Amino acid sequence: MSNVIKGVFGAVLGVLYGGLGMLQIVSAVTYLALPFVPASFFGGFVLLVIGAVLLTGARKFAQGLDEGVVFVNVGILLSVAFGAVTLLAAGAGALEAVIAEEAWSIADAITPAVYLAVIGAAGFLAWCRTFFRGLVAA
Amino acid sequence: MTGIRIALTGNPNVGKTTLFNALTGSRQHVGNWPGVTVEKKTGRIDWNGHAIDVIDLPGTYSLTAYSADEVVARDYIIDENPDVVVQVVDATNLERNLYLTTQLAELGVPVVIALNMADAAEAGGYAIDREKLSALLAIPVVRTVGTRGEGLDGLLDAAIREAETSPHHEHTVGYGNDAEAMIASIVDVLSADKDLTKRYPLRWLAVRLLEGDENALAKIRDSPAFTGVQALLSGIDPDEYEAAMADRRYEMIAAVLPQVRTAGAGGMNVSEMVDRVVTDRYLGIPIFLALMWGAFELTFAVAAPFVALIEAGLAWLSATVAGSIEPGWLASLVGDGIIGGVGAVLVFVPNIFILFLILSFLDDTGYLARAAFIMDRLMYAIGLPGKAFIPMLIGFGCNVPGIMAARTIEGEKDRLITILVNPFISCSARLPVYILFAGAFFGAGAGGVVFLLYILGIAAAIGSAKLFRHTILPGESSPFIMEMPPYRLPTAWTSLLHMWSRGAMYVRKAGTIILVGALVVWCLASLPFGVDYGSSASLAGALGHLLEPLVAPLGFDWKIAVALLFGFVAKEVVVGSLGVLYGTGEGGDALSMALLADPGLSAATALALMIFVLLYTPCLATIATIRKETGSWRWAGFSVAYGLVLAWLLALIVGHIASLFLGGA
Repeated sequence: MSNVIKGVFGAVLGVLYGGLGMLQIVSAVTYLALPFVPASFFGGFVLLVIGAVLLTGARKFAQGLDEGVVFVNVGILLSVAFGAVTLLAAGAGALEAVIAEEAWSIADAITPAVYLAVIGAAGFLAWCRTFFRGLVAA
Repeated sequence: MTGIRIALTGNPNVGKTTLFNALTGSRQHVGNWPGVTVEKKTGRIDWNGHAIDVIDLPGTYSLTAYSADEVVARDYIIDENPDVVVQVVDATNLERNLYLTTQLAELGVPVVIALNMADAAEAGGYAIDREKLSALLAIPVVRTVGTRGEGLDGLLDAAIREAETSPHHEHTVGYGNDAEAMIASIVDVLSADKDLTKRYPLRWLAVRLLEGDENALAKIRDSPAFTGVQALLSGIDPDEYEAAMADRRYEMIAAVLPQVRTAGAGGMNVSEMVDRVVTDRYLGIPIFLALMWGAFELTFAVAAPFVALIEAGLAWLSATVAGSIEPGWLASLVGDGIIGGVGAVLVFVPNIFILFLILSFLDDTGYLARAAFIMDRLMYAIGLPGKAFIPMLIGFGCNVPGIMAARTIEGEKDRLITILVNPFISCSARLPVYILFAGAFFGAGAGGVVFLLYILGIAAAIGSAKLFRHTILPGESSPFIMEMPPYRLPTAWTSLLHMWSRGAMYVRKAGTIILVGALVVWCLASLPFGVDYGSSASLAGALGHLLEPLVAPLGFDWKIAVALLFGFVAKEVVVGSLGVLYGTGEGGDALSMALLADPGLSAATALALMIFVLLYTPCLATIATIRKETGSWRWAGFSVAYGLVLAWLLALIVGHIASLFLGGA
């Protein structure tokens, strides 16, 4: 049952990442302004990669392969990692704006990499034990 | 106080250098991938009345050496006679590690096993009976965790005991009737040479000769026994014997392991899970590219507030200097020369440190080893082993250690190609140039531009390797076998320490070579007396105008020509020189403004300049390293000339194409 939930989770999150990644690329290429979707070619590429990992997992689940769980797990890890990276960059942007006395809006920080990572983080918390088996400090 | 020499040996990436650092208090660089140590390093420790020299040897899988670094390890153990050999064994992979143990035991040297990464084995559910392993191998086995310094006292005590125990007997594997008969015959012939008998265990030498070891053959070439041995070996196939004897060693290991190791519960651990995805045939390279892009985004974004603070500090310093120093020329020297030159470079310290922090994190986790693995197919297609990608990855930090890391490459032509293409890998010294120009001319897209420059560097290295393989250095590359190190969770302390050890070099350069470069450029910009500072009439102007015709087709003016000339010393000097020539003592932001205001510069010119800096002649330290590693000025000269031509052509092409889309040039 847990695997079915994980498969569905991977499929839904994968479609969201893929769709929003495409929108970011289209927006970058056509200069189309969309709310909460920044125009960023490479940012869109990253979202597509995460989406592809999650959808590969969902596809393997659909084929009855246990390996699907591996792809969904790693997709969730990538989602959380890139969400953290984007949030860190946004925080640094806010700090820079304060130092340079420039305008900054929190809306700048609300990007697909951040709000999709919230969903990824929920999955991470739900299945967190899976992620640390056999991992030791460097 | 008695002196003891301990040689640390073992397979690559089992934690030898970590253990060496823990034992001796050294801070040698460690990494979570094979091939970090390419030459031996020595440290000293006083322990219970013994002065102990610890020698950290490069990793080797066996005593049959194939690459330059393996030869260093093997020769030291055999020819230098250390008092005791400590073999560092990865507890998570006993099968492979014990192969070297069988060969060390055969050599008859005193051996102690440091069962390292014991915590990782336990976390993976393995239990290892050390006492039984020790009894079966007749070798002391000590549990260690190098990263936490666990088991060091016991290891030193055991090493001293072994060093002071004599005689040591050779513990050998039985190789079957046929091979044993051949070994006996060879030993019989060798025993006629008394000198050889004193220097080497004859059975060990006979085994090596039977396996067709060229180095062993060289050891007896001047011996009277040589002809007799040659006659014995003439009718046999050494490859067959080598394979059969390796099988026997693995059979022995396979018999030992079930008696000493208990496997835990099944199921994938995190290393296996992540590897299944990041080394995937289709997803591996896109994930690598995504991580690289993330690294450069962070390098730009997170550094920005710190850069702003340094700029504000430099602006204050410059204003203070301008108002308080007399005479005018001294104010100019301090303001335009020192603050303008060194400050223009120092302002990028946060970017450099953050990039190194990210690379250290990826290195410590073990991901960089996977990057080499996923690039293997591409590397093999161009005629290089995947292993050659590791020196390239090291080159992201600095090309000098990157070129030295090519010692791990076995084939001489493969090694030479790997050395020659390494300067195209974008080292940290070029980053200030990218940040300055990409930040000034590409705004929010700067991170993407820098990412593309790094990719272009890799593409230039790969393309050049293919060209060299098909022209000046033809041949076939050897297949790549690389064991994936387990993933580890780096602690903040280890990552910060690695970041500091790499980044401090940049700060030191700012205070030495870049300062000198800035002062030289300031003198050129100020002389002869009476000229306007940095004008065409100055010596810098004369030098620049002399060089300008060479770079004018690329859209560069005389100031850039001078900066590029001094960048030959170190690439950061390009930024320092521009800081001096534009007279922007107020720091990086002022220099960006000055560049943007220069009507001769455009986004297309900036792109061409960044490409030129990426590819043109390696810095002086890199050229000296190429000379040292290839043993020839010819190859060093070739590297300079090839780089200049490639940089000029690519900058010309990209600059002109970019001008169609971005305007200018």
